[in-house]
Amino acid sequence: MLEVDGLAKRYGEVLALRDLTVRVDEGRCLVLLGRNGAGKTTALRCMAGVLLPSAGTVTVDGIDAADDPAAVRAKVGLMPEVPGLYERMSVWAYLDYFGAIYDLEPALRRKRIEHLLEIFELTDAGDRWLGTYSKGMRQKVALIRATLHRPRLVLADEPTSALDPDSARRAWVYLKDLQKEGCALVICTHSMEEAEHLAGDIGIMSAGRALAIGTMTELRRKSGLATRQEVREVPTLQDIYLAIVGERHELAESRSA
Amino acid sequence: MSWPKVDRRKALLVASRDLRDAVSELRLVAALIALTVAIPLGAGSGVRALAYFGGGTAVVNRLSLVGAFFVVFIPASFSLVLALESFVGERERTTLEVLLSTPLREAEIYAGKVLAVLSVSLTLCYGGLIVYCLVTFPGLGYFPIDMLLALAVSTICQVAAMVAGAVIISLNARTMRAANVMASFIILPMSVVLQLEAALILVGRAELLWGFALLMILIAMVLLRMGFSGFSREALLARDVGLSNPVRRAAQAVRSSFGTRPGIVQLIWSRRAPMALAAAGFPAGALIGYIAASTGAVPSAVVQPVLSSLVAASRTPVSAGTGSPVDDAFSIFSHNLLAFLLVAALAIVTAGLSGFLLTFAPGFLLGFAAAVSSWGLALSGIVPNGLVEIPAAIVAGGLAIQIGAAAIHMDATGGWSSRVLAAMADYVRALRWLVPALAVAAVLEVWLG
Repeated sequence: MLEVDGLAKRYGEVLALRDLTVRVDEGRCLVLLGRNGAGKTTALRCMAGVLLPSAGTVTVDGIDAADDPAAVRAKVGLMPEVPGLYERMSVWAYLDYFGAIYDLEPALRRKRIEHLLEIFELTDAGDRWLGTYSKGMRQKVALIRATLHRPRLVLADEPTSALDPDSARRAWVYLKDLQKEGCALVICTHSMEEAEHLAGDIGIMSAGRALAIGTMTELRRKSGLATRQEVREVPTLQDIYLAIVGERHELAESRSA
Repeated sequence: MSWPKVDRRKALLVASRDLRDAVSELRLVAALIALTVAIPLGAGSGVRALAYFGGGTAVVNRLSLVGAFFVVFIPASFSLVLALESFVGERERTTLEVLLSTPLREAEIYAGKVLAVLSVSLTLCYGGLIVYCLVTFPGLGYFPIDMLLALAVSTICQVAAMVAGAVIISLNARTMRAANVMASFIILPMSVVLQLEAALILVGRAELLWGFALLMILIAMVLLRMGFSGFSREALLARDVGLSNPVRRAAQAVRSSFGTRPGIVQLIWSRRAPMALAAAGFPAGALIGYIAASTGAVPSAVVQPVLSSLVAASRTPVSAGTGSPVDDAFSIFSHNLLAFLLVAALAIVTAGLSGFLLTFAPGFLLGFAAAVSSWGLALSGIVPNGLVEIPAAIVAGGLAIQIGAAAIHMDATGGWSSRVLAAMADYVRALRWLVPALAVAAVLEVWLG
């Protein structure tokens, strides 16, 4: 579904992303972890066909993002970190607007909006202006908007960071359901719980490059934690992440020193 | 000039959302209605009161037209605010990334936003004009339909030019505050345009107003085309990162623009198209000046004072009685140099028109002088210094046209500043030859003229 090969992105003098190679098949989920500024958001924007790669290729469902970015954007649902809702619109009008942009028939739009508002418990707030919504409600609307057109690939930047635990679980169930329908997911998050819950593969990024990509088992092996005497239980993703990023951080410090 | 493909349905979707947003606030709607109804009512009533209380017919008739211009322009100014807000406002409210992540193409988003602003502005303008006409003209015994139609058409084009320009600013500004500051690039030229329009209305000749409308159409087309080609998702989302150390970046850009400039011969050859345009300005000006004087299209009283002062200046040096010929030569040289520098400075805001005028205006005066005297007499006034001055003006004018062309050429991949800087660097380097040429011309004028 998604193939990224040697992706690099430069903003002027800043190399925000370098040599990223990943592949996400239908029904799989890749979770990207990393510090702030590691290049996760830039990677998502390139995968979404919003930014064009400075080097390398992004292919979604066989379409090269550099050749036909609009066609790629039609197949992708991007949920940015900031929901970015129009304050003076009701959730109905907002979702209907984006549904129309994605060429959904009015009857189908209505049906899907109704269904999704019900899933995320927003039906009662359907007539209120989005400006009156809480942070969590806004994030739910952003997730609905990104998935309303049933994209082949969902790219979500911290999709549950503002949700209460119950709503977050509901969102995870929804994302898992999308996976079952064959949708591929790429999710950036700082929540290890979320990553463990959703991820098929995990990519750990730092300073614009992927330090490690693989399944939990592969990363555990790579981190070397499984062989350490002091770890008595199976290491969590948090342990693995800190081990991989920490090592690299020390390396960078020693180089600069 | 090719225009990008636009799916009208998609552009209308964007436009209708923006429109809904613009009229969603009650205070805003109240202000819009006041602009559309209250001001025309007041202006129309004023004209009628003047007519009723014995104002002269000529005054009332002229005032009724000026009132129409007034009620049309005020709502048009409202479009500037909406247009400035179109992209940078979405950027500040963080809704832009979502819009840019949809399958909408750049041209559809741009067209939708321009359409939304235009529809609000034109509704207000024409609503106001209709209210004004209904209040003012019934029973007045005067209904200048030709002037009102020309005013209506020139208003569409004026608003379109203003909106297109403001949307370009909105695309390029990072904050609303920056957009407001940059709006001077629209407000200042527009104030000149409005004064010109007001003068044409007072002159009362509809054909001049139609010509003005045509000029506005041209400007609107150029600005719209610039907006279409300059729209870039990339630039809108990536600009923050690229602007670190702006002073160092600007210094680097200036250095690199001077780095690989060619010599004068190579420069003239590489800019032969704008040079040809500037060169054509002189004979074109002479021809138009001659026709204007011969047919009386431009009254002699308008140009005669300029010609007289030029003739007087050439016969009686500025420093007559007080200074030496060296002072006179220096005075002529500094006047010409100032004109060259002004032309370059104005090239960006006039889209290179100042460069064309550098050769057109002297040509016009020459042709006009020839019509009122003779070609021999007129030409003797510009020889021998003109033989140096005119080629210098052609080079300077051509390079100024190039600066203007660089300023109105937008490219989605960016690089506007480097293109304009390179064109300006050409001009500055050409001054190495132009300044001595002007000095030689001044000497020739004082000692041999």
